[in-house]
Amino acid sequence: MIKKPDVKVVLLGDMNVGKTSLLHRYMDRKFQDTVSTVGGAFYLKQWRSYNISIWDTAGREQFHGLGSMYCRSASAIILTYDVSSKQSLMELEDRFLGLTDTASEDCLFAVVGNKIDLTDDYEGEEESEGERPRTCSTSKVRKQVYLEDAIALYKRIMKYKMVDENHAPAAEKMCFETSAKTGHNVDVLFESVFNMVIPLIVKKKANGPEDTINLSQESTEKHTKTGCC
Amino acid sequence: MSVQAFRLVCASGKEHLPAGIQIECLECSGHDLYIGTSDGCIHHLLLVEENGTESAELPLGQQLDYPNTSFTTTRQNQRQLGVKKPICELRAASALSRLLVLCDNTISLLCSDSFEPVPGTKIRGVLSFTLNENPVSDDPFSVEVCLISSKRRTVQIFSVGQERVQIVREVATPEQPCSLAADGYYLCLALSSRYVILNYNTGHCQDLFPYPSEQKRPIIKRISRQEFLLAGPGGLGMFATVAGISQRAPVHWSENVIGAAVSFPYVLALDEEFITVHSILDQQQKQSLPFKEGVILQDFEGRVIVATTNGIYVLVPLPLEKQIQDLLSNQRVEEALVLAKGARRNIPKERFQVMYRRILQQAGFIQFAQLQFLEAKELFRTSHLDIRELISLYPLLLPSSSGFIRTHPPLHEYADLNQLTRGDQEKVSKCKRFLMSYLSEIRSTEVANGYQQDVDTALLKLYAEANHESLLDLLVSDNACEVGDSAAWLEKHKKIVNGDLEDNTRPDLFEYVVDFLTFSKDQQLVWQYVDWVLQKSEQIGVQIFTKRSLDEQLQNSFCPDKIVSHLCKYRQALLLFLEHLVMEKMIQKEKYHTHLAVLYLEEILRLKSMDSSDHTELEDLRLRFQKLLRQSDLYRVLFLIDKIKGTDMHMEQAILHGKLEEHDQALDILVHHLKDFAAAESYCVWNSEGREAFYRKRLFQLLLSSYLNPSTPDNTLIVAAVDLLNNHPKEFDAASVLHLLPEEWSVQLLSPFLSGAMREHVHALRVSQMAVGLAKAENIIYKKEKLNMKEKPVVLSEKKLCHVCRKPFGEPVFARLPNGHIVHTYCATNQHVNSSIDHVPSQSKRT
Ligand SMILES: Nc1nc2c(ncn2[C@@H]2O[C@H](COP(=O)(O)OP(=O)(O)OP(=O)(O)O)[C@@H](O)[C@H]2O)c(=O)[nH]1
Ligand SMILES: [Mg+2]
Repeated sequence: MIKKPDVKVVLLGDMNVGKTSLLHRYMDRKFQDTVSTVGGAFYLKQWRSYNISIWDTAGREQFHGLGSMYCRSASAIILTYDVSSKQSLMELEDRFLGLTDTASEDCLFAVVGNKIDLTDDYEGEEESEGERPRTCSTSKVRKQVYLEDAIALYKRIMKYKMVDENHAPAAEKMCFETSAKTGHNVDVLFESVFNMVIPLIVKKKANGPEDTINLSQESTEKHTKTGCC
Repeated sequence: MSVQAFRLVCASGKEHLPAGIQIECLECSGHDLYIGTSDGCIHHLLLVEENGTESAELPLGQQLDYPNTSFTTTRQNQRQLGVKKPICELRAASALSRLLVLCDNTISLLCSDSFEPVPGTKIRGVLSFTLNENPVSDDPFSVEVCLISSKRRTVQIFSVGQERVQIVREVATPEQPCSLAADGYYLCLALSSRYVILNYNTGHCQDLFPYPSEQKRPIIKRISRQEFLLAGPGGLGMFATVAGISQRAPVHWSENVIGAAVSFPYVLALDEEFITVHSILDQQQKQSLPFKEGVILQDFEGRVIVATTNGIYVLVPLPLEKQIQDLLSNQRVEEALVLAKGARRNIPKERFQVMYRRILQQAGFIQFAQLQFLEAKELFRTSHLDIRELISLYPLLLPSSSGFIRTHPPLHEYADLNQLTRGDQEKVSKCKRFLMSYLSEIRSTEVANGYQQDVDTALLKLYAEANHESLLDLLVSDNACEVGDSAAWLEKHKKIVNGDLEDNTRPDLFEYVVDFLTFSKDQQLVWQYVDWVLQKSEQIGVQIFTKRSLDEQLQNSFCPDKIVSHLCKYRQALLLFLEHLVMEKMIQKEKYHTHLAVLYLEEILRLKSMDSSDHTELEDLRLRFQKLLRQSDLYRVLFLIDKIKGTDMHMEQAILHGKLEEHDQALDILVHHLKDFAAAESYCVWNSEGREAFYRKRLFQLLLSSYLNPSTPDNTLIVAAVDLLNNHPKEFDAASVLHLLPEEWSVQLLSPFLSGAMREHVHALRVSQMAVGLAKAENIIYKKEKLNMKEKPVVLSEKKLCHVCRKPFGEPVFARLPNGHIVHTYCATNQHVNSSIDHVPSQSKRT
């Protein structure tokens, strides 16, 4: 039947920031029309000898409740915002960070500013055909979120997770600016994340077969935390 | 619609059910169908499935149409429970022959035949219950009932046996539950605001996701071990495991689903208008069946039943193989493969493997037809496709000797490549390129095992046709090409070599072919293509024979006679071949030598007869001819002289005369017809080679005479004569020459000759004087040795014995034999008488 994935990577972020587009770009090597994701979608990626499952979640408010479940036991979470929308970055902290409580203890976080192609300081692989950006479609817009903002957010996330900064990967390594449209930095993003996640798999495997036993242990630990709401 | 996965079959016309019935709930176990009504009545019916016959006997994957399943229902018992309240739930525990009935918040245990209640077994205060299909306890005499108690926020677990019920656990829930399903220790609960997984053993409660159960009817459906399907926000069907993880993407239902059921690998959902079918495997919607007024959709032991308030229908699944075939015939390869893989657990292993392999192959051909070669190749490879299936699509590629017949039923619908591409030549050539690369890839792997000949022959034909550079590598390498079949190949191949040799990537293509044939051990093949090669080029073609190793030539099939007789049509080639035999292999057979000489002659005459003929070629040929005439002693000289007479081939005539030792005639030709003095001189030299000096001198003297006795006076001859003498004084006997010379020649003129001759004579004289001296010296040495022997004194004593009679000497008289032995005088006389004794002394001397 389905190959059992070794590890889970989840994309979180407000609707319309381009999560689905990023995954399309990475998996299918193209940028195509998307519809707002319903519920969630699921990809399997063979990376080296491992199977990585990648979950594309829905940013729409309606499906917000599913986030915790999708994040459960995730080994990496890619928090995505739109560089042309300050709001989308703020939502990450306000709305999405809480969903990651269910993720695996040593979960990695990446903060990704997408749609870098829209901003005025981007002059890379040119896009010519018609497009449907959320803002004005002819000229470029002013960048609303700078990499420093993302780095600052990353540091706050580490604080929230109560991770010693010295043990976590450096913020500069975990903040990316991408464009699903041009493909800019997309491979770099996913491949860096995968490469960092693999030691976690190895560690997990070394700790013996996980499955049910380990999970129940883990959940008893967290019982107090989740049980209160 | 995309896939026909299910067919809706009515299981109960109105005539089978009691009039005015209001179905509230259902249970089905084996043939037993139980119906709970809204007025507290339970009906028992027998539901018997009848299969149409025609589908059953068809082989795998061949069900042409749907199986003709139909149902007949016959009414059995019925029972009215005490209260006229709706029956909420019905569950059969067939192993216990019991029926569990929930009505008026009470579960009653009924005997499943008589519908009589089992006394003392009521469970009161129940809002909803379920049977745990995967209980932790494996007690066969009890079932596990999980229920929502009417006590606030409480669930209970009961163990129900044939005659008793017993509470096992009671667990508090964080909120009021309203729906549940069970698996092992896990209860999946819909609470008022969310779904949770409750482990009733540990009490641990795992959140799944929020759901407003109070506004919207929750659905919880156990899918498989430790996995549930839940109605989620936005009409989603969410998958969740007991660990609280979603392993599959959600399926998209409508907002108002009423019920869900599972029939692997599908989940079905009922809403007000449709039954939708999604695949668990890829979460895509596969089918939707219009169905109005449905109230119940449930699966019972794998059978999916849908009901309105007064009608019952069965969703009969189509055989998976049929579904897969449908997908394949719609070119939906991905889905077909997913479904096939998913079917593994529903089909016995051996049967599955056969089926799956076949599906992979079919899928491969579909990809192939879409020119998706990479995918096709992978499918062919993993399914161990008999490679000839693929080759056979290409017209004429399989060798005619191949006994291959495509499998039946066919793996695809195409007769051949032309049909597949609808004659699109570009596509055809793409397909050919694919096959070419595929075959070359596999020809030395086990895929080709057993079909080596088919594979190699096909590859060869493809290469030949495409003018591919690897053709020759294939030919030269160890290959299993079928020879007899190569006629078709040859046709195409010829076309290439004859046609555009220039713009060929390998201008030496033809040489390669020749090379191949030269080293081919296959006699039949060689003889088959010899004519073609020779027609192409005799000069190069003949190398097939001349470069062949000698061992082989000695074999019957390549013996020179056979080759010669085969080559008779090809003059050039024959000439080269004979030349090879005579000059290189030194075969000493008169007929080859004569034949070769005649061929030279004819060829020279032919070239001469053409005005435009190439002089260098002619010259070259004549030199080769002359070389033969000079070197060989085997050809028939007179026969050739006859042939050559009357031509202007004087040199050759001269050589022939020379062979007959008719030197004066030969020299006459050379000197007087050709006036080629150098040739005349060299004639003398080579004709006397290996003979004594006298013979040479005779030749030179003949030459001189022929210079000196011209029929017409000619100064050049005089000069030649003088030159001859002056240049070769050693070759003449000066004394006899001097007589021949005209008186008037001055000494000056001949001084080189005279001094040369003089020197030669003096030299000869001195040499002979030296020889005389040396001989004398040698003679003296021998004489001295003789004297040494003779002059030894002879001492006679008593110890000395006569050499003849072996007796001592009595008197001081003896005789001495020439060899130094002494004997009695009388013995010596005896010996003279009897000469046979002569050797006796030497014999005895040895002792
Ligand atoms: N210019 C530009 N447009 C993008 C980029 N990525 C996505 N878009 C556009 O943004 C819109 C939303 O993209 P999606 O990928 O559907 O966004 P999403 O995050 O998956 O949204 P939800 O599924 O609703 O959560 C689409 O119209 C995309 O074409 C990008 O890098 N550059
Ligand atoms: Mg999306």
